[in-house]
Amino acid sequence: MKTLALAVAAAFAATLSFPGSTLAQEKTIKIAGFAAKSGVVRSFGVNSEAAMLAAAEIINKQGGVRLADGSKAKMVVEFLDDRCSAEEGISIIRRIYGGDALVAVGPTCSNVAEPLFGILQKKVDDKGDSGLQMPVFTDVAIKGGLAKISEWAFRNVPSELTMYASLFQWLKTKHPNAQTVFGGVEEDFAHSRASWYAVMKDGAEKNGYKVLGNAKWLLNDSNFATQVREMKAANADIVAIAAHPFTTCGVLKEMQRQGVKPKVVVGLTSSSSLETLQGCAKQAEGIIIPTSLAPVNKEAKFAADQTAKFKGAADLHSMATWENMFILKQVIESEKVSGDKNQLQADRRKIRDGLAKLKTTDGLLGVTKRTDDREADKPYLFVHANKGEWKVLHDPL
Amino acid sequence: MLDFLQAVSDGVLFGATYALIGIGFTLVFGVMHKLNLAYAAASIGGAYCGLLILKLAAGAPALLVFLCAFLAGGILGYLVYLTCFHFIPLSNPLAALMATVGMLLLIDEIIVHGTQGMPQNYPALFDDVMLNAGGLTLRGDLLLVFVICVLCMAGLLALLYRSKLGLATRAVSQQPVAAQLCGIRVAKVNAMTFVITGLLGGIAGAMIGAAIGALSPVITAPVTVKGLVVTVIGGLGSIPGAIVAGLLVGGFENVFQLYRGVTERDLYVMLLLFVFLIFRPGGIFAGKGGGH
Repeated sequence: MKTLALAVAAAFAATLSFPGSTLAQEKTIKIAGFAAKSGVVRSFGVNSEAAMLAAAEIINKQGGVRLADGSKAKMVVEFLDDRCSAEEGISIIRRIYGGDALVAVGPTCSNVAEPLFGILQKKVDDKGDSGLQMPVFTDVAIKGGLAKISEWAFRNVPSELTMYASLFQWLKTKHPNAQTVFGGVEEDFAHSRASWYAVMKDGAEKNGYKVLGNAKWLLNDSNFATQVREMKAANADIVAIAAHPFTTCGVLKEMQRQGVKPKVVVGLTSSSSLETLQGCAKQAEGIIIPTSLAPVNKEAKFAADQTAKFKGAADLHSMATWENMFILKQVIESEKVSGDKNQLQADRRKIRDGLAKLKTTDGLLGVTKRTDDREADKPYLFVHANKGEWKVLHDPL
Repeated sequence: MLDFLQAVSDGVLFGATYALIGIGFTLVFGVMHKLNLAYAAASIGGAYCGLLILKLAAGAPALLVFLCAFLAGGILGYLVYLTCFHFIPLSNPLAALMATVGMLLLIDEIIVHGTQGMPQNYPALFDDVMLNAGGLTLRGDLLLVFVICVLCMAGLLALLYRSKLGLATRAVSQQPVAAQLCGIRVAKVNAMTFVITGLLGGIAGAMIGAAIGALSPVITAPVTVKGLVVTVIGGLGSIPGAIVAGLLVGGFENVFQLYRGVTERDLYVMLLLFVFLIFRPGGIFAGKGGGH
């Protein structure tokens, strides 16, 4: 027995010391993802995780990421569920900070991102600020201007302000007879509210449309008769719905029942997803939505196929997660990250500085410009629901 | 005035689904003197199970989906009884209550995992029919939902007041010990109560899905709250009370929404609940002593 133990110990020691051994070579860089994987927004987390794992697999198959000493490391993904809850999100970012992840990618919900960015150090090198010094590279939470909260926060989400201003401008040329707009808004959801009051309404008015009013409902409402009657009474040429798929579908179905047929229906960016088609493909037919992702080229189709292998769907959100992984690979290599666990905080700082330095990044639809306030100016398209699929209607760029 | 009447008619028709949910809560309370907080979640769960038939046979008629929801509701009702009541000591009222809270969350999360939280298209009958009546427009599908709900309520009342099982159920509800001494198997009656309310819940869930045109896990919480409000306003244990309260809450909700907006709507519904709790704690049909 003693001999056997000695033999095992000797073999183990030999494995460790042998230069070509797997154990000696295998370095890893951990990227922590966090998103909503339970509750009604679970699909966002599932898709983001799938995209992250798929991107990591591709990167690792290509040899991994190059570290400062010239060696290669594999990208390892740890994915956590924040349940779209601010408390859970804050708890998770603290856990990630206490662990060995180099950078965090997430969250799904803007109501998580906002308080979470608030506990990060606001200004880099501010000795009086004990906030977390952890780079967070957001892929999904889309409410405008959030990265301003902390210099450790970065986002790769499309600018709704730009997209909707462009959409209304295009509608002016495409439907010159359309003069009026009526809005519909999920009043209790931060992103929907911001999208209607600060983005769609503003974009419509700036392009010369008369906004006739708006109807309001709540995220978990089930009866939209009164709101659609208001919509019908307004008789606007364009109806803009700032709501997520479930209530968008409820409203579209009620519009069909009451015979509300505007010239154009505009939807919320987040509704250009499989969820809307699953809930009401027939009623959503023709709805126009600006989005930063459609599988229109080889790269986007490849990313969608790879994500599907991990049981995720490609949409504007999950493909931002995919892009983030490749951007992080680029930053790890350009900033000469050591990958040494003892240098973790210095490496995190290198990631932050590297992300801050970026002026452009490669995206699936083309080059994304980075802004000084750490946001993205992503390429976008206008898609419409057509026979149960999202198809490209117009490429404004 | 027309807007007011339109809001009332829309609300009352939709309120039929609240009434069905309220009946489920009230029947279990009436028989066992326990609240089954998982009832609305199980009802929505039954409605989701109804959709499974569309996976097996695409294009199956809506009635078949409703039938499956009805049956699945009964099975879920029995499972809820087994897990939250049968194996849990009923002497501790909080144990059963908390078990049903756990079951509510469990069913909700199973739905979320099964559907990834995505809304599911739900079939309806006559969803393209709109009837005009003196300037009011009435949704054909909601009228059907209303009729189905009324039939279910009538069927339930007939079962309770015209069958041996109903007699046994009422006996257990009023005097469980005396009922047991008369040879009624209380556990069996309790289980049957859950199956019956489950069947009713399955239909209620399907009708909610049909009325909205889609199902999503987001609706379990509000349906649970509405069901409880209806149960309290109608009077705990009163079936006619639950029916009237369901229609009342549906109508009030829409009127408040029309005049005060969606953000204040639920505030007024809750105020209505408190008005009843203070001035008529036994519910709409409470007797002089406050009970039924």
